[in-house]
Amino acid sequence: MKKYILPILLVILSVILPFIAGTYLLHIFTSILVFLALSLSWDMMLRTGQLSFGTAGFFGLGAYASALIVVKLGFDPILSLLVGAIFSGVIAFFLGFVVLRLREIYFAITTLALTHVFSVVIRNLPELTGGSSGTILSNAIFNGDPIKIYYMILIITLTVIGISEIFKRTRIHFAINSIRNDETTAKSSGINVFKYLLFVFVVTSAIQGLVGAAYVQQYAFVNPESTFSLNFLLLPIAMALVGGIYSTNGPIIGAFLLGLIAEYLKLQMPYGHLIVYGLIIVFVVLFMPQGIYKPIKNTVIGIGKTGGDINA
Amino acid sequence: MSFSLKKSYRLLLLLILFMVIIGIWRPNALLDGLQRGSLYAIIALPLALVLGILGVLNLAHGDFLTVGFYLIYMLYSRFNLDPLVSIVPAVLFLILLSGGIYLLTVKNVLKDGHLNQLLITFGISLVLIETINIIWTSRPRNVYTDYAYSAIEVGGFRFGTYELLYILIAVAVLVALQWFLKNTRLGQATFAVGQNPKGARIVGINVNFVYLFVFSVSIGILGIVAGFMLPRTAIFPGVGSPFSLKSFALAAMAGLGNLNGILIAGVTLGIGEAVINSIPNYGGWSDIVFFGVLIIVIISRSYRRAR
Repeated sequence: MKKYILPILLVILSVILPFIAGTYLLHIFTSILVFLALSLSWDMMLRTGQLSFGTAGFFGLGAYASALIVVKLGFDPILSLLVGAIFSGVIAFFLGFVVLRLREIYFAITTLALTHVFSVVIRNLPELTGGSSGTILSNAIFNGDPIKIYYMILIITLTVIGISEIFKRTRIHFAINSIRNDETTAKSSGINVFKYLLFVFVVTSAIQGLVGAAYVQQYAFVNPESTFSLNFLLLPIAMALVGGIYSTNGPIIGAFLLGLIAEYLKLQMPYGHLIVYGLIIVFVVLFMPQGIYKPIKNTVIGIGKTGGDINA
Repeated sequence: MSFSLKKSYRLLLLLILFMVIIGIWRPNALLDGLQRGSLYAIIALPLALVLGILGVLNLAHGDFLTVGFYLIYMLYSRFNLDPLVSIVPAVLFLILLSGGIYLLTVKNVLKDGHLNQLLITFGISLVLIETINIIWTSRPRNVYTDYAYSAIEVGGFRFGTYELLYILIAVAVLVALQWFLKNTRLGQATFAVGQNPKGARIVGINVNFVYLFVFSVSIGILGIVAGFMLPRTAIFPGVGSPFSLKSFALAAMAGLGNLNGILIAGVTLGIGEAVINSIPNYGGWSDIVFFGVLIIVIISRSYRRAR
């Protein structure tokens, strides 16, 4: 029972946060939770050994699907979140049949190129999407009530954490790990590699779409420039790397650490505070390929066991 | 990673045919495309060299170009140096900068998997962009020179002369690079390392030095490009980033190590972009040419490999 105390405490803390924190702090935590969910979804894909640079792309697709269905068809904003998730998931499902045949840099680059393709397509359909100036929603979700928005994002993030834990604890975990470590062996032990990859790709893309939809309903505004911004790719990656990849706790720790640092730096230097993310990525890849979660865990528990390399 | 110089006459013929058709249909687009394409090709050549010999896809490639731009811009605004003169200090600076960055970072991940290599160059790219952002802010800047806007008229058809330089430079860089790889000791060593690093080490080639040399000189070439491009380009911190992906698109299209193919691919895609750009109301779609081709090429290659 002991090991459940900390997570339960944290969940309780996050639920009562709106009653103890001010609006500004609540806003910061809301955006940290958004990036936390993206970071976890990126990490879930990485656990299969596929480095995806498509996070921002599916985030943007979900955002646009949700915004447009509210503006054009008058859908309920809450329902539109689901539409965003399903739309991203469906697109990922069809793209998956071609994209998931690729490996290594080819997969990474193709997903990055897809992000650009999505944004170019959306920019060039002005009648539908508003083109490069974007679309403005008449009203933010819950009339922009920060507490309700916080709870909405919290529920999404907790769901994502839950999915990540399911991936870690059920047999999917073994399949995914073996695909990452040696695909040929995985295949010869009877794992349907493509099926698992497709499953994870669709789930993570749907999560990214869901988060994108929630984000856009919060700000009531989409445009290609900001919705497909590389920030939604870079920050989650940096967070997962800092915390420690291939785990649920790593991205959570990384998201809070980097989110708070970034917020502080944003106030200190308006231009170029993102440099810290670049330096962190470089530094972590060079010197701490396990992130900070595993070393801390190992010293706390006192097992001198060294975890896998970043590539393991 | 195999590395070789292939002759691609058949592709060249196809390209010429393609150019003739476009030339008759839309002569302006042909000229525009030729210029763009050569530019893309000179930027892609160094990336392909690094990819072919080190096996590292440098996602910070385009951002080194941005650094070159800003350096030359600084020399222009402080000391009123002509951009074309500033090429010399820019090349030297880029060689030193990239050499330093290579020794500090990329060198240490050469033996790691592709994940680390991609992430580290991604990180470097971010650091470069943001450093520029901090020093110069994100305000667009440009440099004005008279010669960059000179034009001539041939038979009622008016076009700029300056941009024709791009084509010459692309060919010159390509020829110089090939000559270097074939006829100098260091070039042959580079060749050998690209084909088989282990074998090269056994016969006594200093592989680490070759890697350092290839990386820094490749980035140095971007200094030349920056000098020639600056008079016609408005610069901002993110101006170079799209070139990383576009260069990779060309390298993937040409096939690893096919340096001639890069010029052909660059000109083809450049013309393709220019043609779409010249269609009224659909000009915005031209951005999709590179990414679309990139995706199609990668995927069709994967099918061919599987067969």
